[in-house]
Amino acid sequence: MQALQIRRRVPVWAVSVAIGVVVVVLAALFDFWATTFVVGATENAPLVLAAFGFALLYRLTGLLNVAYAETITLGAYFAVWMNNSWGLGFYVVLVPAGLLAGVLSVVTYLAIFRYAKGRRVGNLEMIVISFGLSIFLQHALQFVFGYRRRAFDIPPPNTIEVFGVGVSLFRLLALASVAALTTIVYQFIQRTSYGLQIRALASNEGLAQASGVRPLRVTILIWFVAGLCGGLAGVFYGAGASVESFLGIDELLLILLVVLVGGIWGLLGVVVVGMATGVALTGITLEYGNSLYAELVLVVAFLGVLKFRGRRLTDASKV
Amino acid sequence: MNLDWLDAFLIFGAFKVVEIMGLGLLVHLQLGLTRVANFGVVGFWGVGLYAFGVAYLKVDWPFGDLYQFLVCAAIATIVAAAAGLVVGWLISDLDDDGTLVGTLGFATIVVILATTQQGLTGGALGLGGLGFPYDFGRVKTHEFTWLLITTAVVVLIFAYAWRVHRTPHGRLLIAVGANEALARSLGKSATAARLRMMTVTSGAMGLLGAMHGVMVRSLEINSLDVSVTLAALAALILGGTARVFGAVVGVLLTVALFDIVIQFYIPIPDGWNTQALPVAREAVFGAAIVLMLIFRPQGLLGQMRRPALMRRLHGDW
Amino acid sequence: MVTGEDLRPQILVSDVTKSFSGRVVVDVDELVLGDVPVEGLLGPNGAGKTTLMRLIMHSIPLDGGTVTLSRPGERDVLLSATRTSQMAGLGVVKSTQVITDFEHLTILDSALLAVTEARYERPFAAAADRTVRKRHEDEIRHWLDYFGFDDPLAVALSGGDKKLLDIVRCLLLQPAVLLLDEPTAGLSEDHTERVKAAVRQLASRGTSVVIVEHDLEVIWDLCDEVIFMAEGKVLLKDNPATIRANPTVVESYLGAGSA
Repeated sequence: MQALQIRRRVPVWAVSVAIGVVVVVLAALFDFWATTFVVGATENAPLVLAAFGFALLYRLTGLLNVAYAETITLGAYFAVWMNNSWGLGFYVVLVPAGLLAGVLSVVTYLAIFRYAKGRRVGNLEMIVISFGLSIFLQHALQFVFGYRRRAFDIPPPNTIEVFGVGVSLFRLLALASVAALTTIVYQFIQRTSYGLQIRALASNEGLAQASGVRPLRVTILIWFVAGLCGGLAGVFYGAGASVESFLGIDELLLILLVVLVGGIWGLLGVVVVGMATGVALTGITLEYGNSLYAELVLVVAFLGVLKFRGRRLTDASKV
Repeated sequence: MNLDWLDAFLIFGAFKVVEIMGLGLLVHLQLGLTRVANFGVVGFWGVGLYAFGVAYLKVDWPFGDLYQFLVCAAIATIVAAAAGLVVGWLISDLDDDGTLVGTLGFATIVVILATTQQGLTGGALGLGGLGFPYDFGRVKTHEFTWLLITTAVVVLIFAYAWRVHRTPHGRLLIAVGANEALARSLGKSATAARLRMMTVTSGAMGLLGAMHGVMVRSLEINSLDVSVTLAALAALILGGTARVFGAVVGVLLTVALFDIVIQFYIPIPDGWNTQALPVAREAVFGAAIVLMLIFRPQGLLGQMRRPALMRRLHGDW
Repeated sequence: MVTGEDLRPQILVSDVTKSFSGRVVVDVDELVLGDVPVEGLLGPNGAGKTTLMRLIMHSIPLDGGTVTLSRPGERDVLLSATRTSQMAGLGVVKSTQVITDFEHLTILDSALLAVTEARYERPFAAAADRTVRKRHEDEIRHWLDYFGFDDPLAVALSGGDKKLLDIVRCLLLQPAVLLLDEPTAGLSEDHTERVKAAVRQLASRGTSVVIVEHDLEVIWDLCDEVIFMAEGKVLLKDNPATIRANPTVVESYLGAGSA
């Protein structure tokens, strides 16, 4: 696996700040851009959060986990269930739903992926296992939470104006929590001793173990944090529309593309590319009046980038 | 032909079994021999289905039903084969993760195009008006005949897969799947081998899509569902990815079990058929993939048995 | 066919560099391989011998420089702009250092794979397996018998068998230039002798052979010339006796008392 390359020679944050300045200027000057940026950033904040969680798992454990989609779905289901059955407010259920999704993420690791790894299942088979698990959960969850779509029972959100564009308060909160969470997790990995252990484990498992890293604890922590991000993203996704068992899988392709393409520039690249994707989705949708076209354009563009910049087969060097 | 003894739904159940068997055999060549995991089977099948439907309905063909079918089915096969070529090129030097995203992305593109190009495909509403390339009077006879014809096509696919194991082409695919770098150093173009395999197998998937279009006589966006991919993958993995009979055995234990045995011969409460059973079916298929790959990754039939086959082919060595 | 001594297939390595994460592994200004029948590549671990061979095969990308193949009577080919999968077709073949094989494929499969022409490997090629076998049966039988494979219809199990099979595959490709990366590591004495005899025979028929080998007896025995590498650079190129006596080589590699 490619070692964690969070720090690059051209600092991503500098690029982000530059892009941010351009965005603010454009938004202040033109209506179309204002709508695109404000709506794009706020409505697609969950995408960034979900992609960030996925990227953590992918880059730190090397597993491309299709069933991550169901941590998103589960986060949304837990929240809507607590909201509907006990009448708890949206902001109250947010945290427990995220935590529960994190716990479930850890459960899938311990019950399935860790066990499979112990049985020396290959990389390709691991991906297929995660695909099977994803399908299983998508359908099994319907027996738990019902076949119907469910919606949050919350009062119509207050809207405020940003650059002349009306945005609901909870969407702004979504954006803020995405920013906060990604910063916290990023700092956690970069600055704390646990973060150091995580990075050590990701780059060389054997060496890390020899120098006192306890792989199981650290790995569980990674799965938990990833699940937490996914679950919270799910709650925001669900509150923005409604909740059903395909909520996560419907978003998965975009998440995957953001992670694989953004990942070329490290974890922060995932955040930046995720944001840009959200804005582009909104922009193209506004321009052509159909969100499917936006998705089409982005999928094609991402696949192109992947073809020419993506990770190559590395085993060619063995011969 | 007197077909009163035959339930119309049973014909459809059997058609599904045969169709998924065909797809499973093709996935066997991709995943079992060449180790290309195609998560977008439905995309190649669907592009065939829609290419067939659009060519059939939107072009004013100057000849009768039979030739119209043959021409449109050929178009479907060619379009799907071209798609296989493009996707194969896209994923040709990416790792397994890239393959997942490439094939999944392709399937999504197909769904989006089928939905948005309403003038051609009827979009979310769908499009009726496809028909059988013959006319004997009764619909049931038509459907039964079509089941037989499709079965013949799948038998041909089986024969092809069976033969691939016995030719230098199959050996090359196994070599590329097992050790791409070593195959390259022996002068084999792994990329060309994979592209050829993807083109042929995707074309055949497209043909199966066209056959499906005739049977259901309409284009429906809901049919472009991941459950097509799932059924083919789950059946193959259950039976054994590396064996020709893997898909056959697997489909009998999965699709045939659910879509024929349970639906028709097991007394289940009213209402389950429409909701609980289809959902349970998908959940069971997903669980089967997970459990098989953890506990018996080679499937029920077991590993590829190359020495035995070589003994049959070259026993006099 | 190649006749005179100076009409051998040659590989010209010029200004080739390669580094891994900032560390220079290969840095060769000018090197001609193939001016004598068998050459040995010698040097301490990490000298860049294996990497140089991989660079020639273009199985890893070069940071800079060129590798050119020149064969008598044919146009020169820029190997550093050629795909690995086209090397065998040009006659440039390399055995692998790590033990490697095709999972599931039998010994005969491996041999047949090496000799099968591309036109028989297309999806709808009509020819059956036996057609290919008939065309190449004699050579396959010769080499499999030579190395003592009793049951070619089985899968190679031991590391030694896999190593020999790798060499058989290379020999069946009828190379113009053969690069051998530790061909006798892990082989029995008898098999080592057989490999050596096969190399001599091949070289006498015009193939240029380059060997990396830690078993020095093999090098002194086989090679007409030895190239000494250290830290990615070619330091010496001379006949075996001179290299053996060279103080730098003795000090940095052979160790005292080995000569």
